[in-house]
Amino acid sequence: MNDIRRGDAMLTDWRAAARRFEAALAGAVLGQEAVIRLVTIAVFARGHVLLEGDVGVGKTTLLRAVARAMGGAYERVEGTVDMMPTDLVYHTYLGEDGRPRIEPGPVLAASEDLAIFFFNEINRARPQVHALLLRLMAERSLTAFNREYRFPLLQVFADRNRVEREETFELPAAARDRFLMEIGMEAPRDAATRRALAFDPRFHDTDRLVAGIETGILDPAALAGIAAAIQHGVRASEAIETYVVALWEALVRPHAAGIRLPGIDDMAGLVQGGASPRGVAALVRAARVRAWLEERDWLVPEDIRAVFAPVMAHRVFLEPIHEMGRAEIVPALCRALFETVPAP
Amino acid sequence: MRPLLAGLLILLAAASATAQPRTVEVRVPRTFGYFLGDLVEAIVEVETEPGFTIQAASLPQPGPVTYWLDLRRVETETAGTRHRLHLTYQTFYAAIDARTLEVPGFPLVLTSADTHGATTAPIQVPAWNLGVSPIREVQPARRADPAEYLRPDGQGPRLDPAPPRTAALALAALALPALLLLARDRAWWPFRPRPARAFAEAARRLRSLARQPDSEAGYREGLLALHRGLDAKAGSRLLADDLDAFLGRHPAYRPQADNLARFFAASRLAFFGNAVAEARCRMPLAEAEATARQLAVAERAA
Repeated sequence: MNDIRRGDAMLTDWRAAARRFEAALAGAVLGQEAVIRLVTIAVFARGHVLLEGDVGVGKTTLLRAVARAMGGAYERVEGTVDMMPTDLVYHTYLGEDGRPRIEPGPVLAASEDLAIFFFNEINRARPQVHALLLRLMAERSLTAFNREYRFPLLQVFADRNRVEREETFELPAAARDRFLMEIGMEAPRDAATRRALAFDPRFHDTDRLVAGIETGILDPAALAGIAAAIQHGVRASEAIETYVVALWEALVRPHAAGIRLPGIDDMAGLVQGGASPRGVAALVRAARVRAWLEERDWLVPEDIRAVFAPVMAHRVFLEPIHEMGRAEIVPALCRALFETVPAP
Repeated sequence: MRPLLAGLLILLAAASATAQPRTVEVRVPRTFGYFLGDLVEAIVEVETEPGFTIQAASLPQPGPVTYWLDLRRVETETAGTRHRLHLTYQTFYAAIDARTLEVPGFPLVLTSADTHGATTAPIQVPAWNLGVSPIREVQPARRADPAEYLRPDGQGPRLDPAPPRTAALALAALALPALLLLARDRAWWPFRPRPARAFAEAARRLRSLARQPDSEAGYREGLLALHRGLDAKAGSRLLADDLDAFLGRHPAYRPQADNLARFFAASRLAFFGNAVAEARCRMPLAEAEATARQLAVAERAA
């Protein structure tokens, strides 16, 4: 009993920290409350995040702000066409004496304390680099200098430009599946926010903006423990389990669930696969964190709905003919799911 | 001695007759009144002893028979001991007066094949007569109007129109209400599609559940009934967080906002919080039923 109460108190304290974390981010990145909430959920679900959006909407600023607010060791690389996996792991240069030197690269520099690895413009990097990320993200480990490095605290943030397709490489399905969330970021619509973003000099200098954020709000070393406590502390009733399984089934076989989308004749063959068990497990993990942030210790359908699109949409693979239109089809499919599958 | 001899002769005669056909007969629909180019259908019927058939090689071949007569077609038909030849002739005799011509007969061979060998018996189809007539102009009495050559139509019986008219009127009278029923069912003009009475349905279900003995399952079922009613009214699945948006779209139900909020809170507890007892305390089934009834009343007015 004592134990549980201590756990409860710990969860409450951490919830306050999460609120401070969100507030700190909201101070730096205006009008992105929904994205900030999703990033917070990903942080407490210990999942990797892929931010996707237009140029200049603040993807990089947000991720830098997250890194600063969280605290802990932080590394950042920029994706380029000629980047090779070894560029991430090793740093090679000629020493002052003219002899070649090899030292730990960006991933290994902070050694095993690395908390946030920020991959900017991930779709500019080649598939070889994506392949290196697979292991780094799924197992949080890497082999270099003939030994295995472990990164227990690691969380990968990546961002990707949606518009540009020249000189970019689409992420392979396996790599996308390892991101807990793929969050779409839009420029804020609110007129006041837009005015502030355009005219307030505070938002013009990103470095000073990020430097102004309170740092070290969340202790990366303790995050794993608290994430596990959340997962154990939030209960899922039988009804919610049935609901999630029904959603999963309807996502894989929308035709059988009676879902019809306008402009698509062959609903039966629309979804080719990809809604993996790992994806559904991630969905429940993220939903539990959301329930905890909403001060509940049990899941409700709204928790599932709030995280469903960011967690599941990028894991669904459509028939090739519809793949080009996935930006419209997948959100419509997710919406139709929640309009069709009965909650209680 | 003499009667014995006579009997022997009869027996011999009978034995020799076994191979003979009983009858050969030529039948023609009519033997007169044929014109140039007419087809003449003749039927030759041969009655044979059992086991005998007409040898196919002995059948007449289609082709010219005489200078004025062609054989067009030969078909055979067998039924037991009766053999029938269907012969189609065509006459090309350009007669200048009515006269009778003889169609020549022809021989046939009957065969009977058994284990000892084949027995054959020739028979003769007799010649028969055909009356041919010249093609002449008909000369009826002269009429001024050519239409008068047509004979008047025969008189038909006078029918009584009353019974069919009565039946048609009666059926039309029946069809009209049927059409009205169909139009109502299909919501054709002047009927309009009626909005489904979702809350009325929910209220009915809750009322019947309220009569049943109190149980957790019954309580959950009651909540589900109201959920389905709300889903149907909203057109999609309505979750607790969507309540404000729903009331914004359907202001008619706004007076029930508090009750609905309480209902959603109770439903959350009952289904997802595993606290059915607390939920029942917050929103007893009777209150849920009252809410559904109020909603149904508002629905009818809306």
